[in-house]
Amino acid sequence: MSTTVRCRIGDVVRRGRALTVTAPVEPTVLARAVRAESDGDTRVTVVSDEPGPAYRYVGCIRRGMGLRTRTALAAAARSRGFETPHDTALAAARERVAALTDKSGNESTAAERERLRQAVAEASIKSERLRETVAAARGRLQARREQELDPAPAQTALAEAIERLSEAETEAAAARQRLDTVRERSRERQDRREEQFRAEDQMANLERRARAHLRDTVEDEYVTALGAVPDGGETATPFEADPVSRALAVARVADLSAPVVLACGRFETACAAADWLDTPVIRSTSPER
Amino acid sequence: MAETFNLLFCPRSDVLLVIAYTRHARQSLRNACRAHDEVVVLQAGRVALLAETEFGAFQALRLREKHDEAVRVERTEPFNEFAAVRPAVREAARRYEARDTPATPYERFAAGRDLPDPERMRDSELEL
Repeated sequence: MSTTVRCRIGDVVRRGRALTVTAPVEPTVLARAVRAESDGDTRVTVVSDEPGPAYRYVGCIRRGMGLRTRTALAAAARSRGFETPHDTALAAARERVAALTDKSGNESTAAERERLRQAVAEASIKSERLRETVAAARGRLQARREQELDPAPAQTALAEAIERLSEAETEAAAARQRLDTVRERSRERQDRREEQFRAEDQMANLERRARAHLRDTVEDEYVTALGAVPDGGETATPFEADPVSRALAVARVADLSAPVVLACGRFETACAAADWLDTPVIRSTSPER
Repeated sequence: MAETFNLLFCPRSDVLLVIAYTRHARQSLRNACRAHDEVVVLQAGRVALLAETEFGAFQALRLREKHDEAVRVERTEPFNEFAAVRPAVREAARRYEARDTPATPYERFAAGRDLPDPERMRDSELEL
């Protein structure tokens, strides 16, 4: 495993295991360059070994950083090659989730479904209104008969109202049918989602258990490392120290191989940091923004 | 699990049933329920019953707007067996629960008696 890092900023190229960068480059830009994630900044390139699983948590240690220590510590244990009794089940669960994802068929859009719901509601309001019209027309016809008036105009009005009602009811039934068909398909998709959901939950549970196991494996090492962090200060509990101290302790436990970017002022020299962490280091001493 | 149960304080007993179908949607549903427990009749896991008020509907719609099909909203109403099912079904439920042999499945229990056939019940939809 090579520990030599090649770091180019503009025209300046540095090589070695412990580098100090004085140019005004954000530490996060350097760390992204290590992960080979270009963000359009072509000034910086870093060539080094692949960053391991802990790099995304403690690959860039800087003042004001945040850290999910427990998650980071589990990743640190993983980077060292530790395994857990849940790994086989976890791999199977991940495969299952991957297999269940993205099996979308002939989907209706939210807008289409909204239109269909609206059509059904409107059609049923229209039918209801026409039913009232029919009842009123029937009442008028009845009244004319009782008053012994010519029933013909009222009869025509009633017949027309009945016809319009019948049309509206046919229309409403058709609208309901269309909505039912689409709802049926929605439910099928929801059933598939439910399966996916359960698989994801199961995967998340296994991941949590695996993380807890990994954490337990290296927690003592972490506590020891935390006690040795330069300028670490005193803390009541190991998970409540300041984030930079926690990150340094996790980084010391982890096998990082790719260079850790440091902008925390805890080490006099890049060499001292690389020795303490037992990993390549890029120490940024550029002034804070 | 955070569960609220205030069905009794609900102005009407009709409720909106909201079901989340993704982890993301479930998180939103939980957040909404936590923030607006006055409309939450019941919440358990990825399912919630919201009071059938405009505000309950607003919350349900907001979730569906955000998560589309991953949130399902249904309107439910209290179940009245006298309006929804024929007497034989009510009778069957009463007599089956009063059986002397707890291990007998309904199918066998119904066979020798004048009780509705489970297959037929499966195929018969309820009255609206």
